[in-house]
Amino acid sequence: MSSGPRRSPLHSWHVAHKAAFAEFAGWEMPREYPTGVLAEHQAVRTAVGIFDVSHLGKIIVRGPGAREFANRCLTNDLDRIGPGRAQYTLCCRDDGGIVDDLIVYLRSDDDLLLIPNAANAATVAEILGRDVPDGVQIADRHADFAVLAVQGPASAAVLDAAGLPRPHQYMSFLEAGDGFTVCRTGYTGELGYELVVPSEQAEKIWQRLIEAGERFGITPCGLGARDTLRTEMGYPLHGQDISPEVTPNQARLGWAVGWRKPAFRGRDALLAERERGPSRLLRGLRVTGGGIPRPGMAVVRADDAGEVIGRVTSGTFSPTLRMGIGLALLDPSVAAGDSVAVDIRGRRVPAVVVDPPFVDADPRRDPA
Amino acid sequence: MIPEDLRYTAEHEWVKVDEERVRVGITDYAQRSLGDIVYVTLPEVGSDVVAGQPCGEVESTKSVSDVYAPVSGEVVARNENLTSRPELVNTDPYGEGWMLEIRPNDSAELGGLLDAEGYRRLVGNDEGSSDA
Repeated sequence: MSSGPRRSPLHSWHVAHKAAFAEFAGWEMPREYPTGVLAEHQAVRTAVGIFDVSHLGKIIVRGPGAREFANRCLTNDLDRIGPGRAQYTLCCRDDGGIVDDLIVYLRSDDDLLLIPNAANAATVAEILGRDVPDGVQIADRHADFAVLAVQGPASAAVLDAAGLPRPHQYMSFLEAGDGFTVCRTGYTGELGYELVVPSEQAEKIWQRLIEAGERFGITPCGLGARDTLRTEMGYPLHGQDISPEVTPNQARLGWAVGWRKPAFRGRDALLAERERGPSRLLRGLRVTGGGIPRPGMAVVRADDAGEVIGRVTSGTFSPTLRMGIGLALLDPSVAAGDSVAVDIRGRRVPAVVVDPPFVDADPRRDPA
Repeated sequence: MIPEDLRYTAEHEWVKVDEERVRVGITDYAQRSLGDIVYVTLPEVGSDVVAGQPCGEVESTKSVSDVYAPVSGEVVARNENLTSRPELVNTDPYGEGWMLEIRPNDSAELGGLLDAEGYRRLVGNDEGSSDA
């Protein structure tokens, strides 16, 4: 057994296509191909890109009452959706800190697929396992499935051309047999699909999508473009913008909490915090003064005193806006539209507080 | 690509020696290691830089790297085009992607730079480094 990083079943394809790799949560995944992050980003906004995100976790919760059990642990209300639907939810600690954000695919009341972040999959499985009822099994199937994301305005056409079934509504999914699931979900803000595929079929499906997508300009994309795309949407990344030190109230993820549910992990702490008001809020920053904000940089008031009012949690260059953008946990007195400054290695660079998304994109838009 | 007529630093800057000034940029190897360059910060014209010390920054979508002054001296020109077109560092690192012109205090310092052969040996033994 090698002690090196874990690898996707598509690793040799990426090597053959000269990907530059980065280690991400113990997985060695493509950061970018020779195309480059900017062109990969642009392909997703204007045509279609394909990502290998097999590092994502896969947990199956199965058995009588699986849905009720998961609903007592996770924050969002699974009674809001029916079978065939997916839901963004959070797994919190008892003190309300976010252990992970994840997508739950409700296959039936007795069968759920969870897609947590790579780094947190084992922790989520462990927390669920703490009070699992008799008859419900929690299976951590991290290496058994690959996840392929086809994202961009032409993504529906690519699935059609590849002869793959395609769910119509945003946050819905179809099962295509053999544990092969096609979901209308993503992390880019564009129309898109995520395919959960048994690992041994991953390369065949990937090739089929690339061939079918050729006439639509399909572009293999790495995690570098995935990060610029999600930042432009203001989607939080666990480990940066959200963490066990950050609550859903602070991250403004209250919409992913079923406040009326009688029980979920972290409920009492989160209700109390909501009552008294969170001590900080996650907001967007457009850096108007030139420069790129990076995680950890101080955000200060724009006046002479320059009081520190928060920290950057994610920052990058927005290929769409052609300027630095970021997410930051800021004092709750700061509002959208306020002028602030970011301390970029000793330079006080002007920025404006905004509520994301930074760009005009919406994954709910239907195929043309 | 390592032009024969340039001098190099171990930090992946190239130096083109003119009579009284030197032109400076980052090498093709450096730009490929960094990926798409999206922002460049350079010192003001008229400021002094110190050999081996950071004098500017190049940023990719993911990270920031220092640009080191190859010689001590005064900045006499900088490439203002890089403000709006930082991608020139990727597309033409030895030409339109140049960064600074420096008037060296002591031209003897130039003798300490690598020649093309020395730099080729360095990157040959330094695969995977992304310092610029």
